[in-house]
Amino acid sequence: MHPESIDSQTAQPSWNGRVKDHRAVDATLERDAELMLRVRDGDQASFGLLLERHRVPVIHFIYRMVQNQAVAEELAQEVFLRVYRSRGTYEPTAKFTTWLFRIATHLGLNWIRDGRNEKLQDSLDQETSNGATRQLPDRGRTVEQELVYQAKLGEIRQAIESLPSKQRAAVMMHKYEEMEYTQIANVLTCSESAVKSLLFRAYESLRMRLAHMA
Amino acid sequence: MEGCPLEKGNGAELVLAYGARTLAPDQAAAFERHMSSCAACRELAAAQQDVWSALDAWTPEPISPNFDEKLYQRILQEEQFPWWQRLFRANWSLRPAMPVAAACGVLIAAFLLRSPQPIPAPQSSSQPKVGIEQVERALDDIDMLKQLDVIQRAFHLLDPKLGLRG
Repeated sequence: MHPESIDSQTAQPSWNGRVKDHRAVDATLERDAELMLRVRDGDQASFGLLLERHRVPVIHFIYRMVQNQAVAEELAQEVFLRVYRSRGTYEPTAKFTTWLFRIATHLGLNWIRDGRNEKLQDSLDQETSNGATRQLPDRGRTVEQELVYQAKLGEIRQAIESLPSKQRAAVMMHKYEEMEYTQIANVLTCSESAVKSLLFRAYESLRMRLAHMA
Repeated sequence: MEGCPLEKGNGAELVLAYGARTLAPDQAAAFERHMSSCAACRELAAAQQDVWSALDAWTPEPISPNFDEKLYQRILQEEQFPWWQRLFRANWSLRPAMPVAAACGVLIAAFLLRSPQPIPAPQSSSQPKVGIEQVERALDDIDMLKQLDVIQRAFHLLDPKLGLRG
């Protein structure tokens, strides 16, 4: 294999685990835009479909950004509320998900910037928004395994939290939303090379902080 | 693979793509062959793989079952607001207005700086009129005082003690 064949231009998502059929992706994007145009025309059911499709990724993305489930849900509500408010002026000029995650990132970064995340990380004895004590999800582990898992999770969360907020957002989109550099750049309104730089620095920090967990 | 990608500058991106499993199979195979003889790439790829696996372990919390219900309540509430409140709550951003405001500021500043006629100071009608003779007399007085001053300085040069006496 020639070294030229492995440069940044050819390192495109195309392999196992993260295979993306581009035709399927395009169809999904068209579907999102179509649904949003219907919402613009007053079709409430289409908004429900959009919510159904994007609720989970948006909440999970914000949750990993702000590390608090109640806040994540509150901010996600604001994201969808803004989408609904903007329905009248919607034009399918960009990918719907790019727009959606731009709003989500904006709200998440603002929340982090305002320092409202101090001492707000979810803890096991914290009450949920319903007033009930938080229950550990049953993942089929013993108590010991669960404790080890929670300790490991704590370290991962701390490592993520130690990243500058923009790096954090970039990692979340790259790792969990499986977005390509171009789309992350569009969400963060920066260049593709800036995204690469953000990601390289972020993963470098994470490698250093999480090295002992191997 | 000829040469180490870390030395060529594209190593970080390659390792990231390898860890994320987004490399094409032939590219991944080539990189694996290279790693078998390159400790630096091997270590970096292994560390990146560890990070990737660690992040995989972070499973998010379940979402509240009443999420949609709350959202629709908020939408309904918002639709009941009067139009002017809805307008206020719309997603306005001042960012697009900033360059326009800056351009207006520059234009105003340029207009004020390049204004050909200075703004005349308002003249009070109660101000007493000064005659031309009075001005001439004042100028003569000043000249005379200047001459006296020159004479005094000349005396000082001849005899500095005079200054003490004076």
